[in-house]
Amino acid sequence: MLVPLLATVLFSVSTRWDRTIWPEGITLRWWQAVTARSAFQDTLLNSLAVAAATVAVSVALVTPTAYWAHLRAPKAKPWIEFLAIVPFGLPGVVLALGLIRFYSGVPLPLINTPAILVAAYVVLTLPFMYRPLVNALEAVDARTLTEAAQSLGAGGWQTLVRAILPNILPGVVNGSLLVFSTVFAEFTLANLLVGTRFKTFPIYLVEFTRFDARQASALAVISFVIAWLASVLIIWLAGRGDRPRETLAAR
Amino acid sequence: MNSRRHRLRRAAWLVLAPFFLFGLAFEILPVLTLVRSSFTAEGGWSLANFGRAFTPVMVASFRNSLQLSASTALLGVVGGTAVAYAIVTARSRFVRDALTALADVTANFGGAPLAFAFIITLGSTGVVTLLLKAVGVSLYPSFRIYSVSGLTIAYVYFQLPLMILLIVPALLGLRREWREAATNLGATRAQYWRRVAIPILAPSLLGSFLLLFANAFGAYATAWTLTGPDVNLVTVQIAALVRGEVQLDPALADALALVSLGVMAMCVAGYRWLATRPWMAAP
Repeated sequence: MLVPLLATVLFSVSTRWDRTIWPEGITLRWWQAVTARSAFQDTLLNSLAVAAATVAVSVALVTPTAYWAHLRAPKAKPWIEFLAIVPFGLPGVVLALGLIRFYSGVPLPLINTPAILVAAYVVLTLPFMYRPLVNALEAVDARTLTEAAQSLGAGGWQTLVRAILPNILPGVVNGSLLVFSTVFAEFTLANLLVGTRFKTFPIYLVEFTRFDARQASALAVISFVIAWLASVLIIWLAGRGDRPRETLAAR
Repeated sequence: MNSRRHRLRRAAWLVLAPFFLFGLAFEILPVLTLVRSSFTAEGGWSLANFGRAFTPVMVASFRNSLQLSASTALLGVVGGTAVAYAIVTARSRFVRDALTALADVTANFGGAPLAFAFIITLGSTGVVTLLLKAVGVSLYPSFRIYSVSGLTIAYVYFQLPLMILLIVPALLGLRREWREAATNLGATRAQYWRRVAIPILAPSLLGSFLLLFANAFGAYATAWTLTGPDVNLVTVQIAALVRGEVQLDPALADALALVSLGVMAMCVAGYRWLATRPWMAAP
């Protein structure tokens, strides 16, 4: 399982590695060349911005909903779960097609903008955000916490932000990291919804694979490191052992 | 009293409104648009688009996608269960933690960077290709990473870790006493697996297979990076129609999208149904 990863890392620092069994030499030239490009920084920043925006929207949208449904409106739960499971059965190409069809028919300037990409990502990653949140809510006895906060005079939002949020923070962070690493590596929706108008890092990577394998390999390593960092953080947060997780990252 | 409860209930739904509006706007309505458009032809309800959609090329794309999904899901289920079993029964804590961490991390690798890693590893001048050539095994031209068999390897790479994560909880649910009881009653190892363990695991195995199947069926980035438009898959066809590379025919793309959505939806619904059965080992 490690061979493709190690090969990519080694390839990105070899002078030449297409005739001999081992690299003919070691160099950082490709790394310097690729990171010096302004497009490199632009696309990296674009991807970081889109990932951060998706996490922000998702946390703001899903946290109050999951909390409220858990506590006050259990009848809404099956509907929320439905919306959170559908993305598993929704291929990226189909979601992109549906969004383009629908929003080219309504008078909203969303088509081809980063905004519609963020919205699509929030949908795509709903399962990753919702599940850890529900697990966390079930683990902390949200009802007792809420009653305690309210008996001390806290209002609705105050209860959520000051009493519940700190207690379910591991779930929020866990979900956010999954969302972040999924969005950062996502290619399909980015390619079809915005394409070259707003280049993300994976689009840049795929472009490079077509004309400079060495520099592309450096980009792939960066991608792997970011995904790896997110996983390490999740594992570290979860402590060890039992954490049923759902990972259907961007394929 | 009654009106107060009424107000509370209304407040409850008000808090939920943004979420549902969002889901409606970016998840439900786009899908419904596709449903309506694919069933509409010449101003009325019709199945004509589906008839047109099934040209020989499109039928071939469905066959390729179904085959690729089934074979990689099967390989993923078998291989993933074997590794997960090794994780669950490992005596050494280090082996267990190392394998779990590897599954966790590789489950997050996918799409374009992974496909490119495979080009470097198994491409025509790839690292493993060169190594094998040095020991007298030449992969090319009989094998090509840029083909369906190449895609199979790349897909299995992301199916395996997912399977491990899905099946470990079910394997942990297999109680040691069941095995001991079977052994005490004279069952062999094979009999224990065939008569006890596999029937207990069956719903989890089937459910995981369905999820892996859907996972492969909807995949696009890996296939596109690895093979470009060379390999005829459903997702590649739909994406080409979206980008307007092929002649623009919205209703046709919508019909294709709807059929693939149907395949995926059945898989995910089956997975959900199996996962929420009372007889399933609690995760």
